[in-house]
Amino acid sequence: MGLPLFSAHDDPGPSFFRFAESAGLSKPSAADDLKLAHATTVIAVRYVGGVVMVGDRQATSHYIASRDVRKIEPADRYTAIAVSGTAARGIEFIRMAQLSFEHYEKMTDMSLSLEGKANYLSPIIQRNNLTSPLVVLPLLAGWDLGHQVGRIFEYDGAGGCYERFDFATIGSGSPFAENTLRLGFRSDLNLDEAIDLGALALYEAGDNDPSTGGPDFVRNIFPMIVTIDATGFNELSQADTGARFAAISERRTSSGGFAGGTLR
Amino acid sequence: MSNFFYVAPEQLIKDRAEFAQKGIARGRSIIAAIYDVGVVMVAENPSASLNKISEIYDRIAFAGVGKYNEFDRLREAGIRWADGTGFTYAREDVDARALANFYAQHVGDMFTEGPKPLEIEILVAQLGNQFRSTKLYRVAYEGTISDEPNFAVLGGDAETIKGRFAASETTTQTLKTTLQNAINALAGPDRTIAVADLEIGILEDRGNRRTFARLSDGEVSEILG
Repeated sequence: MGLPLFSAHDDPGPSFFRFAESAGLSKPSAADDLKLAHATTVIAVRYVGGVVMVGDRQATSHYIASRDVRKIEPADRYTAIAVSGTAARGIEFIRMAQLSFEHYEKMTDMSLSLEGKANYLSPIIQRNNLTSPLVVLPLLAGWDLGHQVGRIFEYDGAGGCYERFDFATIGSGSPFAENTLRLGFRSDLNLDEAIDLGALALYEAGDNDPSTGGPDFVRNIFPMIVTIDATGFNELSQADTGARFAAISERRTSSGGFAGGTLR
Repeated sequence: MSNFFYVAPEQLIKDRAEFAQKGIARGRSIIAAIYDVGVVMVAENPSASLNKISEIYDRIAFAGVGKYNEFDRLREAGIRWADGTGFTYAREDVDARALANFYAQHVGDMFTEGPKPLEIEILVAQLGNQFRSTKLYRVAYEGTISDEPNFAVLGGDAETIKGRFAASETTTQTLKTTLQNAINALAGPDRTIAVADLEIGILEDRGNRRTFARLSDGEVSEILG
């Protein structure tokens, strides 16, 4: 690649996506017949100090392709991005988002606002999903430095961006996770309660959806739990995550596989 | 009937060089120097937002003197090139020498073929690691690229400042000493530069992927003690 110089009228500005398209680094996708289910569950729950995200670790094609996939990644220090859908497109999407936010920051010497990041992703999703059956659907959560609050943005298949003030889920396990969250969510959840609710919702999804991986006590692989608060993106340790899922599993075992009349 | 005037290439080059030098001499100079654990770039710049020093990539920084619009376009092209290369291959494949060569080619082309030479000098600094060494590449207005061993000075007054800095700093020092020497060399014996009129950027490993940092006025005062 040569030195990418542009004249003032066709300069792509600080958008890496527009530059990548003009330079042919990211080609518009060609539609074909390959259809893959978006086998995943990722949850984002707001609490008083930010957002908790929980994501399963299983990659599914016709069988289990991988048990330790990371579906939630930091897009930058204060933003987390998760994807459901085709793995190849999802990985490319996360890379594009990470690079775009950093690119903007370097070009302009300013960080994008959280809302700016959320809106930036819309046309990328739209272009991918309306031209290709390899659908990808992201979930964006972050700490809004300007307004000092945690925020969640979800997207529809055509790239529409919607802010959620309670919780959001993506992936095939969504119905089960969503039901759990609807029963357990309060607007005054603290960090610990939000983590436990998110973990329980993921446990439910893993229990009912064959394409969502629940806690794997045999291999010690657990759904990943991250928090995004005023200090930025933090991932819970494997020991902490394991202990929370072990507690849920023990309660279920003691009540014979049922929730036992309470949300637990 | 049209007249064609013959201009000898020697004369053409001389005129163009004089034009570029004059433009560059109007602005203030920049020093970039290697200290014990990093690279520091010091510019005299009263503007807090029109930067002369900038981050290009994880371990690469840019500094420019002369006409702002001309070197800022090259800064943007450098960020695009670095992000595009890292996206296509891998982050560790982004190399300062390749970028400095592209800059040198472009600046050289503009010098000989452009409507007017670029009135700029630029510096590409790279912080070393186990794969690469710490480097300072200076690209002059006519496209000459030089690999400066310990420090580089850009701008009209470069030779004088170079002499002052070389006299005060004979070996690699700490950030504090190097920064103080750089500021003294920029200011000269007859004046002092206020911290608010300095723009300072460093490349240093602090446990993060990105090594570039701007030092605020407060941080600079604290380092200088």
